[in-house]
Amino acid sequence: MDQTFFIVGVNHRTAPVAVRERLAFTEEETPAALRRLRNAAPAMTEAALVSTCNRVEISGVAADPVLAAEQALKFLAADRNLDSSVFSDAIYTMAGREAVRHIFRVAASLDSMVVGEPQILGQLKVAYANAAQAGTVGLVLHRAFHKAFSVAKRVRQGTMIGHGSMSVSSAAVSLAGQIFDTLKDKTVMLMGAGKMAELTARQLKALGIQSLLITSRTFDRAVALARELGGTAVPFDNYQPYLKMVDVLIGSVASTKPVLGRAEFELVIRERRYRPMFLIDMGVPRNFDERLNEMQNVYLYDIDDLGSAVERSRGGREREAEKAEEIVELELDSFQKWLSGLDLTPTIKDIRYSIERLRDAELGRNRGWLDSLEDADRERIELLARGLTNKLLHRILSGLRNQESATPDAVYAAEIARRLLVGEFSATDIEADEISDDDDGGGDAK
Amino acid sequence: MVTFWAIPALVCYATSAALFVAHRISGRVRATGYAVATLGVGAVFHALDLAARGIQAGNIPVANFAQALSFLAWLTALVGLVLIVRLRMSVIGAFVAPVATVALSAASLTMTSARLVLPDALRSVWLPIHVTLAILGYTMFVLAASVSIVYLAFESRLKAKRPAGPVEGGVPSLEKLDRINYHLLGWGFLMLSLAIASGAVWADATWGHFWSWEPIESWSLVVWILYAGLLESRLTVGWRGRRAAALTLVLFTVLVGSFVGVNLIFPGKHGGNFG
Repeated sequence: MDQTFFIVGVNHRTAPVAVRERLAFTEEETPAALRRLRNAAPAMTEAALVSTCNRVEISGVAADPVLAAEQALKFLAADRNLDSSVFSDAIYTMAGREAVRHIFRVAASLDSMVVGEPQILGQLKVAYANAAQAGTVGLVLHRAFHKAFSVAKRVRQGTMIGHGSMSVSSAAVSLAGQIFDTLKDKTVMLMGAGKMAELTARQLKALGIQSLLITSRTFDRAVALARELGGTAVPFDNYQPYLKMVDVLIGSVASTKPVLGRAEFELVIRERRYRPMFLIDMGVPRNFDERLNEMQNVYLYDIDDLGSAVERSRGGREREAEKAEEIVELELDSFQKWLSGLDLTPTIKDIRYSIERLRDAELGRNRGWLDSLEDADRERIELLARGLTNKLLHRILSGLRNQESATPDAVYAAEIARRLLVGEFSATDIEADEISDDDDGGGDAK
Repeated sequence: MVTFWAIPALVCYATSAALFVAHRISGRVRATGYAVATLGVGAVFHALDLAARGIQAGNIPVANFAQALSFLAWLTALVGLVLIVRLRMSVIGAFVAPVATVALSAASLTMTSARLVLPDALRSVWLPIHVTLAILGYTMFVLAASVSIVYLAFESRLKAKRPAGPVEGGVPSLEKLDRINYHLLGWGFLMLSLAIASGAVWADATWGHFWSWEPIESWSLVVWILYAGLLESRLTVGWRGRRAAALTLVLFTVLVGSFVGVNLIFPGKHGGNFG
């Protein structure tokens, strides 16, 4: 019974959202769905279901992964009331090492739409908990998920994959954070009402700014936007007097020549007593004279500058992703080694400990009687007990060790021996503490 | 004389400096924790060194240039640690730790083995007050200069549209760096003013006149006027940011020139010649 770990499913790369949403399961549905899956796919000995907005995946363990995957897919179609032709092109199936790599990469957020986003790990933990609740988790899935969690943790600690900006507007916000210590006492002015400019203003507003001024060629538009965002509308022909209070100026006015020139800005700067000013030019053609950037404590970024800032942080992310992939490969080797039965040490330790404890308990129970015997007799009896358990242990342990060549079977033999002699999930059980190990504080998700 | 404790202190400072610099280059997050810890341990050893020499001398160990330099190194490490930990600006460690290393090395190399005994005329409560204030002031200016270097580097990257990438934590915003610089300059200026005032009072009590136009006195006055001008320009015209940082650095070079130059080239009473 050569047991293999496999994964079958769709993700954001293989299937459009229209397909993914029809295959998806809610968190509440999952335990019941797993029990149905168990009945529909008898080839699977273990099963888990991961369903997020970017992926629907069934992972499992089976002696015949091809057959099991087929059964799992049939289950998906029947359970979600879909014709399998709707999603069959989008399906990927992986088994063995490849499947383990996949679950590690998913946990480490390397397979996410936005690489490095932190939510996926939590979703995976929920999926594992649901499968455990449904009773479909066995030794291999237990170990695979926990290893995936620890890989994710190592990746997050060892790389900067969760850092950096994702979009032009969030790049602008992150730049504001590099210029200003706090936005709480800052005034933002939105000039013109381009979509991206508005989005940036919204994000800044959400972080808590002191006030938001909005000016637009059409005053009604400014008033409407001011009402929606919670700001103050300023007439477009009279915004200059307000400039000296503005710390962040976002321009997106449709204009063929710059709205703000250098000469008039010189005065603004002096009136502001050189307090820093962040100009975000989202207009095409550009709204602000590019030489404004040369002025004291003025930082001007146009749409291309912001775009390359995003590129830059993505570039950094790619480098970090490479580091993360290395970590995944390293962990993959250690997992495969365990799976192929080379790493029986914890099981052997458990069995030895359990049997020796049993012997000592028996001797202890008869301590009174033993003490009443002659020294020589007592020693003989103790020796006998010790000899018996050692013989027994030797036979079991050497039996397990000899299975090393028989790949995954050894794991199962060891597990059966452990269950018979030790009981399920003993004290030295594999990394059982990791699921409670909540380290979700590190990300800077936007 | 160099005590036993100066050696582990120096080793810690140097290790910390290497770690801080390595962190700036590699961007590894964990290195900073070790760097901060070794700097802290170094400061503890250094404190023991100062205490040992203080007990031997029966006063705070600042009787000559080398001892003053050692004291300056210690205060720089100490105040630097406060900045790093409280204000979360590990970047400043890349300046503080090397400065502490160099200053303590220089102090240890130039420290004479002869036991320094102050003439009775100078044994006064004013000695620890005057010297501690002066060195605290210098410490603030050292840190202000370090913060200014960080400011200028960070600012030029922002101006050049090459903002800090994802691997560069530990650098606060420009606004915060500028404010820290201002505060350090303010405190430094206050300490320097009090040092000059206490020195004058002490001189009057010892020699009967407030001011004797010793080289260091003249230079301190020049430095004091320059720093006053720097602070004044911020308060009136609003010179801040890049200009303030650049001026801080210029004034710091003048300060170093006067501190080193006066002590080594024109040593008067302040150089430890109490004749």
